[in-house]
Amino acid sequence: MTPVLELRGVTKSFGGLRVLDHVDLTVAEGEIVSLIGPNGAGKTTVFNVITGVYRPDEGDILLDGRSIVGLPPHQITRLGVARTFQTLRLFLNMTVKENVMAAAYGHTKAGLWRSILRTPGQRREEREIERLAEEKLAFFGQRLVGYRFDQPAYSLSYANRRRLEIARAMAAKPRILLLDEPAAGMNPVETQEITQLIGKLRQEAGYTILVIEHDMHVVEGISDRVVALDHGVKIAEGSFEEVATDPRVIEAYLGVQAEAARK
Amino acid sequence: MAEGERQRTIPRIGVDEWVATVEERVERGLAGRAREAWGRVPAGVKLASLVVVPALVPLLTQDDYLLQVAIDTVVFMLLAVGLNVAVGFAGLLDLGYVAFFGFGAYTYAMFASDHTGLHFQAPLVLLIVAVTGTALGFLVGLPSWRLVGDYLAIVTLFFLQIFSTILVNGDRLQLPFLEKEIAKLDGGLTRGPNGISNLDPMNWLGWKLTSLTQYFYLALIAFALALVALHSLNNSRIGRAWRALREEPLAAELMGMPVNWLKLLAFATGSVIAALTGTIFAAEQGAVFPSSVDVTVLITLYAMVILGGAGDLAGVAIGAIVISVALEALRTPSNASWVFYIALALTLPALVRPWRWQLVALLVGATVGFGFAVRAIVEAAWPAGTGGRPLGEASIDDWVSSWVLLQRNATPEVPTALGKTAFVALIVAVLGLTVLKGRRRLVALVPTLYLAACVWENVLVPQSAVTRYIILGALLVGMMAARPQGLLGKTRVEIV
Amino acid sequence: MDWERFFSLTVDGATRGSVYALIALGFSMVYGILKLLNFAHGDVFMVGGFIGWGVIGALGGATSPVVPAWAVIVLMVVAAMVGCSLLGVTLERFAYRPLRQAPRIAPLISALGASFFLQNSVLLLFGADFKQYETIDLAGGALYLQGIDWGAFHISLVRIVVIAVAIAMMVALSGLVYRTQLGKAMRATAYDREAAAMMGIDVDRVIMAAFFVGSALAGAAGVLVGLFTGSVNHFMGFNFGLKAFTAAVVGGIGSIPGAMLGGLVIGFAEAYAAYIDPSLRWRDLLVFSLLVLVMIFRPSGLLGRPEIQKV
Repeated sequence: MTPVLELRGVTKSFGGLRVLDHVDLTVAEGEIVSLIGPNGAGKTTVFNVITGVYRPDEGDILLDGRSIVGLPPHQITRLGVARTFQTLRLFLNMTVKENVMAAAYGHTKAGLWRSILRTPGQRREEREIERLAEEKLAFFGQRLVGYRFDQPAYSLSYANRRRLEIARAMAAKPRILLLDEPAAGMNPVETQEITQLIGKLRQEAGYTILVIEHDMHVVEGISDRVVALDHGVKIAEGSFEEVATDPRVIEAYLGVQAEAARK
Repeated sequence: MAEGERQRTIPRIGVDEWVATVEERVERGLAGRAREAWGRVPAGVKLASLVVVPALVPLLTQDDYLLQVAIDTVVFMLLAVGLNVAVGFAGLLDLGYVAFFGFGAYTYAMFASDHTGLHFQAPLVLLIVAVTGTALGFLVGLPSWRLVGDYLAIVTLFFLQIFSTILVNGDRLQLPFLEKEIAKLDGGLTRGPNGISNLDPMNWLGWKLTSLTQYFYLALIAFALALVALHSLNNSRIGRAWRALREEPLAAELMGMPVNWLKLLAFATGSVIAALTGTIFAAEQGAVFPSSVDVTVLITLYAMVILGGAGDLAGVAIGAIVISVALEALRTPSNASWVFYIALALTLPALVRPWRWQLVALLVGATVGFGFAVRAIVEAAWPAGTGGRPLGEASIDDWVSSWVLLQRNATPEVPTALGKTAFVALIVAVLGLTVLKGRRRLVALVPTLYLAACVWENVLVPQSAVTRYIILGALLVGMMAARPQGLLGKTRVEIV
Repeated sequence: MDWERFFSLTVDGATRGSVYALIALGFSMVYGILKLLNFAHGDVFMVGGFIGWGVIGALGGATSPVVPAWAVIVLMVVAAMVGCSLLGVTLERFAYRPLRQAPRIAPLISALGASFFLQNSVLLLFGADFKQYETIDLAGGALYLQGIDWGAFHISLVRIVVIAVAIAMMVALSGLVYRTQLGKAMRATAYDREAAAMMGIDVDRVIMAAFFVGSALAGAAGVLVGLFTGSVNHFMGFNFGLKAFTAAVVGGIGSIPGAMLGGLVIGFAEAYAAYIDPSLRWRDLLVFSLLVLVMIFRPSGLLGRPEIQKV
């Protein structure tokens, strides 16, 4: 079976610095893959080349077996890739519901004239978008529904903003969700919750998920497979236990002293 | 120091503490209450009243001057809501906008005047303008693909400069394939700085629009259509995508919105509105001039959009009404005098927070008393500094001249030494006022108000034509610093 | 080829170019540090021209000044620099600093308003007529009659003065930026404002210094333009400002050598435009079209570095 997402020898440099060095990565249908590595390992760059923010210098990126290299980001999203951002990028002055509704743009149609004339088809589509948004927001329990629908996004707490970003990505109807540090800045209870939520995203909503995470408890709790990056090179891949005990991974995180300490 | 204190008292935006207190930070004071009431009015009612109320004007008066002012105002309203598409909805700084107004006007002059000998009917010209205006709008929007913010602003400003250069020097312009035809025209293609006059009245399938009332209703109908179209658009997926683009362009692109296309659409939509407005205006005036395409008009439009609140259709239209009427009032010194006192009566209560009428009364009383005291001192020390005649309307003349300092024997065209000094002092005083806080600010407000009244009567009223633009400039700077969301807009939050 | 004409156009290009470069430096420094296009910068330059006019008037006019001719010029330049640097700092403090945290469109609109305000305030105070420097009368016309002559080629003294002053200013600025502590702080702030603030650099002070220095240069440029064109008016800031901004962008905005190079490029382009369009009616159009092309195809300019988008 073709994997949902496949990276083949993807390389990217900025100036003289090679940020990604022949990275191979596959994510199969229904799988949750975690991408780990120390700061500056190139994790977010992986997301950026997948979503078309940067064009890889070498290598190919396949979505359902079809190359998406060189497509503009909005088309890649339409083909089924949606992401969240490590540094949150919500539409802060739009309401919670609008944030999610906006992301339905790629799979809706009403053009300029139909929007101006408010044709019956356009109004039906608007109602559908609204229902879709409410449904996605309801995924997070009571947190983002009810009176929260019409509150501006900037009024939300940090954890709720992270949730809203996930809801927004869901509204783009992706095949694969890319989550960039979903648990960053959350307290232990919220972290626990987000771990369960990612599992629920796959079970109930059926998403394939690629996630960048620093919190090893989260990684352990959710991953089918873990990929470790260091200095743009894939240094380990496998189950959480395999990767977590891999000496190269330990070295990447703790430095060479780990090697010495073991001896 | 002051910066540090502020950060301690107001929790940082986005921090949980800040989120928890969001409800408590409602605005107080009279202005806050007015805004709250305004916010409760349904959008449909607001927009409908913007069309219905102006529609009554010709029923109340048939005075040519007042009708002309009404037409100009509706034209400004149209231009302002059009500019609002790029600036307010999509957050793109379009400084070339006014060129489209001129484009529509000159296109009408080309196709319906004795200048070229073509006498097309209005619907045909409007169609031509709509099509070519859209194409041109896309063209000017193209740089927005690669440029953002300042760069986009400057490129669109160059476009305006290029267009205005073409109009001014168009009497020497040659176009390929049309050399012979252009050579036949009197004064070349655009007649240069003289402009083109004797345009046809609009001909709607044989029905010619000749009276001001007819043009007023034509402009108002156009405004109503634009308002409805833009309102629907703003509430559609395209409007949402524009807002998303304004808030966070990268996230918008990555959430599936074709950002480049949306930018072009915003440019072109505004451009078409401006071009069609230009056509109507040209037909009403019966003449076109290159001076209608200059930076002054552009700044005026920006002031309207900013005053009303960029992005808020009804607010922008109201901003257009306020500024258009104020500019007209300032055109002649006899009306200008009033503007200051009316503006003061409207803004002073809003400046006093929390709102207490006693405080306002005290402030007014103190200012009046302060004025008489200063005038008495000056009269004793330097008699030439008092006793001049103000140029304002007779009814407040006497009162004002016994209160403010007015240099004697001044010629209205040349600002007096007193006036010049007071003008510079006023700028310093207003800047100083922004630094002061609380009670000190209230105290400092007294001499500043008096100084402002003196400056008004000494230089600004006699030079009211220039004053208008000084006020617009100050308004833009002041609004950006104090209320970037406009008088009626909701508070917006930016996290950088 | 008409070498005489070519030479005189070249001299004209160099004169204008060095003035554009002086103004462009202010645009570039402020943009480098604040990422703000200071629309009002052109009007600060215009105010400089008016200060110069005020000084020459106060010194008894160009025909019979109370001090020697060279001192007149020095005093004009110095007064304009002092006045404009104060104006620039005031602008920064009251029109731009309150907007540090606002979206990028806000300071731009504020700058537009400030430009309009300055221009019309000068119009209100001094009227719309051209203010004559009457430099033709200074020291019995020496500025125009004397100079360097090589056969048919002639450079008048006034142009030598303009170019020399501009070069001296640029050398001084380079010294400031590359050799002093303040210059180092400026470069650090331009590179990364937040990191600079964390390293203990007082960013507000650096920004103020950039406005101070940039506006001083613009003020000097205002006097130089008054000297070689003979007059100033309230509207000149707009056109010169646009050209200088063009120069800054062509050279690579944020880059100091770039601003100098860009100024000369625009100056020469404008001068040699006389070959293509002797009527000079379309000259501005040529310059602006050049700019639009550079902006679209090489937005980082001749000497600038392209920016990498951060996610």
